[in-house]
Amino acid sequence: MSSSFIRQLRAEHQKGRRRHLLLIPFIFLLFQILWAFWQLNYADQEELSSGYLLLFHHLPMMNTLLLPMMTAVTASRLCDMEIKGDTLKLLYTIQEQTSLYDCKYLTGLSYLAAFTIGQGLLIPGLGMSYHFGEPLKWPMLLEHLAVTFSVSAALLAIQQTLSLLSASQILPLAAGLVGCFLGLFSLFFPAPIARLFIWGYYAAFPAAAMDWERDTRIVHYYEVSFPAAGFLLFLAAAIAIYLLCRTITARKEV
Amino acid sequence: MRPVITTEALTKQYGNKTVVNQLDLSVPAGSIYGFLGPNGAGKSTTIKLLLGLVKADSGSMRLLDREITDKNRLSILSQIGSLIEAPAYYGHLSGQENLQIICTLKDVPETEISRVLRIVRMEEQKDKKVRQYSLGMKQRLGLAAALIGNPRLLLLDEPTNGLDPAGIQEMRELICSLPKQYGMTVLISSHLLSEIDQMADHVGIIDKGQLIFQDTLSCLHEHSGTRLLLRTDNDKAALQLLKRSRIPAELKDGKLYLRVLEDKAVIHAVSALVNAGIGILRINELQMSLEDIFLHLTGRQVSL
Repeated sequence: MSSSFIRQLRAEHQKGRRRHLLLIPFIFLLFQILWAFWQLNYADQEELSSGYLLLFHHLPMMNTLLLPMMTAVTASRLCDMEIKGDTLKLLYTIQEQTSLYDCKYLTGLSYLAAFTIGQGLLIPGLGMSYHFGEPLKWPMLLEHLAVTFSVSAALLAIQQTLSLLSASQILPLAAGLVGCFLGLFSLFFPAPIARLFIWGYYAAFPAAAMDWERDTRIVHYYEVSFPAAGFLLFLAAAIAIYLLCRTITARKEV
Repeated sequence: MRPVITTEALTKQYGNKTVVNQLDLSVPAGSIYGFLGPNGAGKSTTIKLLLGLVKADSGSMRLLDREITDKNRLSILSQIGSLIEAPAYYGHLSGQENLQIICTLKDVPETEISRVLRIVRMEEQKDKKVRQYSLGMKQRLGLAAALIGNPRLLLLDEPTNGLDPAGIQEMRELICSLPKQYGMTVLISSHLLSEIDQMADHVGIIDKGQLIFQDTLSCLHEHSGTRLLLRTDNDKAALQLLKRSRIPAELKDGKLYLRVLEDKAVIHAVSALVNAGIGILRINELQMSLEDIFLHLTGRQVSL
C-alpha cells in the first residue's frame, strides 16, 4: 500500500469525525442480540441442546432481513457528505476517482468487519449464557462469518456506487430496503431463480438446516456440509461486481 | 509573458451539442485572466476540461508548461488550486478540519492552514462548523482550500456567484491581491463584464463554446468602443476646438464624445478646452455593456 493511498485513507478517517459511523453496526447488532435473547428464551431444552445449529440456521435469515439495509446506511453515511458538500469536483483534482472509491470501500468494509466480529462474539457468548448442549464447531462459525462478511462486501460495492452517483440518498436507501425484502422472498423461490438475487445469498450457504415434522411438531436441526465450490464462485462474482461498480463510478464525469 | 495555460483546438461534445468548440486559450503567467461569457457559453466545461474532470473529445492542453495526460494530471494539478461552481465543504466539520483533510490529501503540513486562513481572513471562524457559515464564508473557505500548497495557478469558476455586495467586494480584493503578493496566475470566469473589468488584466470571451475575443482588457476597451462623455458649457465650440487640436471627438444626439482613453490624450484635450475658456462640467467614461460587446463582436443579441 503506497504512502499516498494511506494518506487518502487517513483523510477518509478525518471526514468521518462526528458522523458516529460505528453506531450503525452497533445498532444492527443490538437488534440481533435482542432477537437472539427473545428466540432462546422461548426455546425448549431440546432446542437448546442444539443451540448452535439453531443459531447457524436462523442468523443467516436475520442477516438477509437486516444487513442489506445496514450496508445501504453505511454506504450512504460515507458518501452523502461528498454529495451534500459538492466535494467530488475538488477531490478528483487531488486524488484519482478509483482511489476515492477504494478508500471509501475499505472504510465501509471496516464497519462491516466490526459487525461481523460482533456477531462472531455473540454466537459463543449466547452458547455460554444459555448452556448449549453441544460444543461450538469453530469451522462452522468461521464459514458463517465468511459468508456474512463477503455478501455484505458485495452489497457494499453496489450501495456505494448508488450513493456516489445519486444526487439524493433516497434512491440508494430505498434500494437497500427493497433488497431486504427481495432477499427474504428469494428464500422461497426455486433455487435457480433465488440465485439471481444477491441479497438472499446470506442464506445461500447455510451451515445448518432444519427438519420439521408436521405430526409431532418437533424441529430438528442438523449440520450440512459447506458448499465451498459455490462459495468460491460467489466470491469471484463479488470481485467482478466490485470491479464493475468501481469502473462505473470512475467513468462518471462530475 | 509565457502562457501558463495553452489549449489548442480543445473540443467537448455532449451528444450532438458542442459545448466547447476548437478553443485556443492562452493565459499569460502572472496575469488575472477574466474568462467571460453568458451563462451556458462553455466556461465551466472549459475549466473542468483543464482540471481533467471531464474528458476532451479532441484538442490538447498545456498547463504550467507541461502537456496534460492521464498519467501526469494529478502531478500537474498539485500546483493548481481550483474553486468550481459551488464551494466544496464538509458541513459537519469545522473550517479548520475541512482544511486538515485537504492538507492530508495534498501531503502538505498543517501549518499551511493558519497561513491560508489569514489570507482569506477567516482565523476567527475556523472552529465553527461549516454548515453554520454564510455563503460568503463558504466561498472564502473554498478559496482557502484552493490556496493550500501555494499553487502557481488558480482556476476560479464564478467565485462571486450568490454573494452579497460586501462579499463580492471582499472576494474581489482577495483575488486581486494574489498575483502581486504570491506570484500566482488567476483564471476567473464570470458572466459579468463589470466584475472582470475590476479584476482582470487579460480577457477571453467565449460564446457558444467558441472563443470570440482574447487579448488584454485595454485592448477589449479599444475594441469595444469605450469613450468619454464630455459636458461643457459650450459643446459646439468645444467640438470645433478639439477638431482643430486633432483630438478625435464627435457630437451625437446633442452630446459631445471624446474618442480617446489614454491619460495623456485626455489631459491634452481637457487643458486645451480650459485654456480656450470653455467650462468643463462633467467627464464620464461610457463603457459598453457585455451585451453591447457581444452585439459588436458577433452581431447577435444575447441575454445575460
